[in-house]
Amino acid sequence: MKMISLMLLLSFVLGGCSNMGVQPWQRGHLAKQKMQLDAYPVDAFLDDHIYFSKESSSGGAGVGGGGCGCN
Amino acid sequence: MQLKKPKPIRRLLTAATSTLLASTAQQVVAVEKTPWQVDSAFLYYSEKDRVTVYEPVVAVRKETGDDEFIGVRLVLDSMTGASPNGAIPTDSPQTFTAPSGASSYSIPAGETPLDTSFHDTRAAISAEWEVPLDERLKAVFGGNFSKEYDYTSLGLDATFSWDLNQRNTTLTTGLSVSQDQINPVGGVPTGLTSVPTVVGVQKSTQGGDESKDIMGLLLGVTQVVGPKTLLQFNYTFADEQGYLTDPYKLLSVLDNSGQLRASDPYVYEKRPDSRQRQALYAKGMHQFGDDVLHASYRYYWDDWGVTSHTYDLRYRYELAGGRHYLQPHLRYYLQDKADFYHYSLDDNNIPAYASADYRLGDMSTTTIGLKYGLVLGESHEFGARLESMQQKAEGDAPFEDNTAVIFQLNYSFLF
Amino acid sequence: MVTATAQTLQLEQHENGYFCSRFHAMASPCELLIETADEQLARHLGRLARDEALRIEHKFSRYRKDNIIYQINHSHGKAVAVEDETAGLLDYAKFCYELSEGMFDITSGVLGKAWRFDGRTAVPDEATIRQLLNYVGWDKLRWIHPHLTLREGMQIDLGGIGKEYAVDRVADLMQQQTDCSVLINFGGDLVCTKARQSGQGWQVGIEQPVYDQTGQQPAANTLIEITQGGLATSGDARRHINRDGKRYGHILNPKSGWPVSDAPCSVTVAAASCTEAGILATLAMLRGEEAEAFLDAQAVPYWVVR
Repeated sequence: MKMISLMLLLSFVLGGCSNMGVQPWQRGHLAKQKMQLDAYPVDAFLDDHIYFSKESSSGGAGVGGGGCGCN
Repeated sequence: MQLKKPKPIRRLLTAATSTLLASTAQQVVAVEKTPWQVDSAFLYYSEKDRVTVYEPVVAVRKETGDDEFIGVRLVLDSMTGASPNGAIPTDSPQTFTAPSGASSYSIPAGETPLDTSFHDTRAAISAEWEVPLDERLKAVFGGNFSKEYDYTSLGLDATFSWDLNQRNTTLTTGLSVSQDQINPVGGVPTGLTSVPTVVGVQKSTQGGDESKDIMGLLLGVTQVVGPKTLLQFNYTFADEQGYLTDPYKLLSVLDNSGQLRASDPYVYEKRPDSRQRQALYAKGMHQFGDDVLHASYRYYWDDWGVTSHTYDLRYRYELAGGRHYLQPHLRYYLQDKADFYHYSLDDNNIPAYASADYRLGDMSTTTIGLKYGLVLGESHEFGARLESMQQKAEGDAPFEDNTAVIFQLNYSFLF
Repeated sequence: MVTATAQTLQLEQHENGYFCSRFHAMASPCELLIETADEQLARHLGRLARDEALRIEHKFSRYRKDNIIYQINHSHGKAVAVEDETAGLLDYAKFCYELSEGMFDITSGVLGKAWRFDGRTAVPDEATIRQLLNYVGWDKLRWIHPHLTLREGMQIDLGGIGKEYAVDRVADLMQQQTDCSVLINFGGDLVCTKARQSGQGWQVGIEQPVYDQTGQQPAANTLIEITQGGLATSGDARRHINRDGKRYGHILNPKSGWPVSDAPCSVTVAAASCTEAGILATLAMLRGEEAEAFLDAQAVPYWVVR
C-alpha cells in the first residue's frame, strides 16, 4: 500500500513536471501571501504544537522544530 | 520680449545636468532600510475539565541581503490543569501519589483519573537563516532550543530547495537532528514497576534523567500546475532513539474478576526505546476568483503500529472590499492504535511494553473553526481564530472524549 | 479599498514580464515599472524608490517647516550655509537662469501671491505686480558656495525642478542596484534606465487635454515608446485664468510679472534625463509662441499642445 503510493507519487512527478507550469509573468497570483505554502506560519506553528501533543502522528509538512515534554 | 533666433543650448544644458546628477550622487547613500517583519500571536487553548494553555508567540524576520533573511521566534507556553494519568475509572475512589512522591491526590468513583498536580511553563527560542546558494538553490539553516522545568530540547536543521523548469518545480530536501533531555520530577520511574499509592513509599527509578535523540529527513516536490494552482508532495522520515516513555503515565492492572488488583494496582508505562516514523503528505492550493482553497492529506505510519489519516481543509473567503476575509477550517484525524496500547492490563499477562495514554489509542480528532482576517496594509494584518476540537475513542477502549476550545489572536506588522 | 498613503507600497505583476510598484509622493501618483520576474527585487527597488522620493520631497518642499528651504526662506537677509546636494541644485538653477537669459528664475515664486490660478477670474493690478517684482530676480541674491543670502522678502522655490530631479536620482539608485530595465514615472515626469531585454522600449501614454473657450475637450492619448532617457511635461492645462477673451497660463515671466503670452497649453520633451527634459519644457513654455521654434533648435523630440 505504501509502496504503491510512493510509486504513484514518483510517476506523477516525473511524468508530468516538465510540461506543467506557468511563464514568469503569470506568477502574479502565486506571489500573493495567501497562495504561499506557508501562508499562515503562526497558525501552522501553533496548530502543529497542539496536534503534536494531542495525537501520536507528526511530520508531513516539514522537518525539525522543537521538542517538548507534552508527548 | 525680443524675438531672437533661439540658440542651441542643449549641449550646455545636458552637460550641466550631468554635473548636477553626478555631483550629488555622493550625497545619496542608498541605505538599505529593510524593515523587520513582526508576527505576534496569542493562543488560548482550553480543554473541558482538563488542561488550559496560554501561549504568546513573537516572530521577527528581516531581509539582510539579496534574498537573504534571518528570523527569530520566541514562544512561551504556560500550561495549567490536569491530564489523564492513564488509569481507568473504577467503582470506588482511587488514590495516586504525585510524581514527586511528596503528595497524593484522590479521584472520586467513576471519574477518569487526572493528575491534578500538573503545571508547567515552557520557553522556546528558534532562529533561522535563509540564504541563496546559487541562482536556483536556496538553503535555510535553523536551530531551536526549549526549556521547561523537566524537559530540555536542542535541535538543528537544514533545508535545501532547488528550482527547476522556470521555477515551476521545486525539489526540497531537509535534515534535522535534535537531542532532548528529560528530568522527570521524582526521577525516571522504571517501566512497568509499581506506582506507590501511599506517600513515603519510593517509586523504583532508573536514574535522575534520560535523553532522546531524533533525526528527521524530508523529501518533497512542489509543482506549479497553473497560474492559480499549486501542488506539494512530501515524504518525511524520523528516527527516535532513547527514552520515549512518558514518565508520569501509568496503567491500571486488573485481576481475574476485572477489578483493580489488590496489591500494586498501578504500574508505570513503558514504551520501546526506538521509533521510526514515516509520512506521505499531499497538499493542493487553488484560487477561485479571489478566494483560496487549501486542502491537504497525510498518511502516517510508524513501527509502533500507529497509522493515521489527516484531512485538512481551509477556504479563504474574501469579503467585499478586499480588505478582510473569513476562513472556515475543517480537520479530521483518524488514528489506529499503537501495538502496545492497552486500556488496562491483566494481572497474569503483563507485556514487555505497555501504555494507556489515550493519545496512542484508536481515536479521532475533529476540528472545526473559523478565522477572521483584516488586511491593514503591506504586511500589516490582524487575525482572530476560533476553533472547537473534539477527540473521541474509535476502538474498544472506552476512554473519555476530550473537547477543547482554541482561540487565537494574531497581529503582523512592519517595524 | 486601502488608499495609498505615502507609506504604502503596492506591487503588481504584469504579463509581458514586469512588476509595477506604486506609491504616492510629491503630490503625484508614482510608479516604477521593473522588468524582472523577481518579486523580492521589485519590492526592494520599490521601497528604495519611495524612500528616495520622500527624502527629496521632505528636503525641498515649500510646505514644511523643518527643512533647508524653510531655513532659506525665513533667513531674513542672513546667509545660510547649505550642504552639497542643495548647493548642486543652486548651481544648476543659476546655470539655467543664465542660459535662459533670466526667464528661468527660482525666485519668481513670490509672484504667486498676486496670481492665484484657482479658477477665479481676478487678474491682479499692475501696482501689486510691480511691488512684488522687487523681490524677484536671481541677480538680487548672493550665491557663493556654500552660502546663500536672500534679501528680506525673497523666496526660492525648487518645485520647478524637484520632481524631475527626484526621478533622475531614483534612476541613478536603480542603476546601482540592478541591471534590469526600470521605468520611473512620477506623475508624468519619467525616465527609463535602459532598453528592455527585447530591445523595445516601454509604452507610455501622454495625456494631451485640449482646452478651448467653451470648455475642455480631452484629446486622445499619444502613445510613445521610450527606450532610454527622460520625459517631462510642463503644462497649465488645468491652471489658468480666462479674462476678457484672453487666456492667461500659469507660467509667469519673471521680468514682467505677467503670464507668458501665447504660451502653449502643454509641452512635453524627451531628453537624456528627466531634469534636462523638464528644463527644456519649461524654457519652451517661457518662449510663448516661440516654443516650437525653440525646441526645433534644440533637436529634441517634443509634443506641444496649444
